[in-house]
Amino acid sequence: MTMPASRTLMPGGGVARRPLHFIVVADCSGSMLGQRMQSLNLAVAEMLSHLAAWERDQLQAQVMVRVLAFATRPVWHVPEPVGVSELHWKPLQAIHPKAGSSEVGQTNMGPAFREVAAALGPDRLESRALRPAILLVTDGKPTDRAGEFEAGLASLMSFPAGRSSLRLAIAIGDNARSEYLDRFIGDPSIPVLLADNSDEVAERLVAVSIAVSRMSEEGADREALAKQILGPGSGQPPGAFDRETIV
Amino acid sequence: MSTRTLEALPWRVLWASVRGASHEATDTPNQDAVKSRAIDVFGRGALVVAVADGHGHWRHFRSRSGSRLAVDVACQSIDSFSQDLMAIDRVDELEAFAERVLIPNIIQAWKAAVASDVESTPFTRDEEELQTNFHDGPESAYGSTLLVSVSWGRWVLLLQIGDGDIVGLLPGGEVLLPMPVDPTLDGHHTTSLCQSDAAKVFRVSVIDQAVKTLFGILMATDGYGNAQAIDEWEPAVASDLVALIRDHGTAWVANQLPDWLAQCASSEGSGDDTTAALLVAEMEGDAKWRNANAETVKIVTPDGTSSSPEKDPSGTSGHRRQDGHPGEKRSVIQ
Repeated sequence: MTMPASRTLMPGGGVARRPLHFIVVADCSGSMLGQRMQSLNLAVAEMLSHLAAWERDQLQAQVMVRVLAFATRPVWHVPEPVGVSELHWKPLQAIHPKAGSSEVGQTNMGPAFREVAAALGPDRLESRALRPAILLVTDGKPTDRAGEFEAGLASLMSFPAGRSSLRLAIAIGDNARSEYLDRFIGDPSIPVLLADNSDEVAERLVAVSIAVSRMSEEGADREALAKQILGPGSGQPPGAFDRETIV
Repeated sequence: MSTRTLEALPWRVLWASVRGASHEATDTPNQDAVKSRAIDVFGRGALVVAVADGHGHWRHFRSRSGSRLAVDVACQSIDSFSQDLMAIDRVDELEAFAERVLIPNIIQAWKAAVASDVESTPFTRDEEELQTNFHDGPESAYGSTLLVSVSWGRWVLLLQIGDGDIVGLLPGGEVLLPMPVDPTLDGHHTTSLCQSDAAKVFRVSVIDQAVKTLFGILMATDGYGNAQAIDEWEPAVASDLVALIRDHGTAWVANQLPDWLAQCASSEGSGDDTTAALLVAEMEGDAKWRNANAETVKIVTPDGTSSSPEKDPSGTSGHRRQDGHPGEKRSVIQ
């Protein structure tokens, strides 16, 4: 039984906002080394600050963040859900195929999807959680062995939370835009966001923060919001993040 | 706060309804509804309690009316069939009667009430265009969940379509979750009175108190459960409610209920409209009704308003009824 300060005795364990789980799946393969990784780190930090601001201003959700880095293999960078306002961002680094190796990693998405699937599996999320959001950031096409991408995606889709999740993707550079990212998103109304330089990476991630927040709200019209926030001519950031538009 | 007396009913019902913080922020009304009706069939009392949650989605743009119509027709339908219902004395027959008679009647009456509402307040051209674009029937605009309890003698009949919670409280503080789990309720979508196969997705449960004696029943819209910090909150809430009622009495709980729901509906909770009805059973020698005056049914709304008891104008059918529903003065109770 809880008795918050200045509150009456309340049956149960007290109240809390509904969790909104947001999982960032970040490409940390060899091609991301250098400027791209630095840009991504700065952009993620900025995106998280926008999400924290949204969390403070809105009235329903508590944003819980996890980050999965992947290359040849996936490695949790932020393994447990952390409140977005409490998350102190530590930069992502390249993942080598073997610990201690200097060999650069591949872009194997299938194992990363399996890892996310395990995190969203039965009884892993609160029953009252809002539908989760998953952001895939990559600069390349998947390098999985034949069938691995499909198997990983099928694993993610095998759970209700995975199927109902809001899935977004950012393609960094010309090589990343591919049918694979559309298949990951699984919603023709949501485009892959393209970023050709570091500024655009930051802008796209801010757009993602808006999409995650607004499209998770109760009664949200995802298709209309996708067009408005992410679509062509949407007037994406800078400046797109506006309290008035998301509360 | 208002109090009324209903004889021959070993139950009290307390309720409150609070508009969600997110609805306040968007100037959207409370789309929940709650109503009770006490029925006396040849001296045997029955208590009907109905709780409904109008869908928040913009395609259900008249769900505020839909939830009110739902609780109205639920009470009326149960009343209409109360003699037949109360003549049944077997669990399987009660379930069958609910599925064969009560549920179809409630759905049919709700659709008729919706049609009548549309006739008196036609859709605008924009609303009609929206419905055409989405191939929605008129009922879709009024989409709502519905939770109903009917309590008489040793029996409690429970009906539910859509999300929300019905939680049984046992005398020792244990919890009883009587409703079958609906796997389609994923926290983002709900089954609804407005769907074409509504009868198929209604859930039914019968509690025989000769087998499982109840201390009380909590019926709540999803704004309550979604606000609970503990994921499996029902055991803790049941245990605490039983202890609080035993320690402080129903009058104290009645005074606290609006504040509890306000916490759930706040920006620290679900932010959603939150409505709960708490039925408390009388037990011989039990002290939980102390401090609650002499009345057997106490109906509480956040602002203390309540409509006058309604007498059955027919008077000749062998039953009389007394209605209680939230007053009209306060916008948070709709």
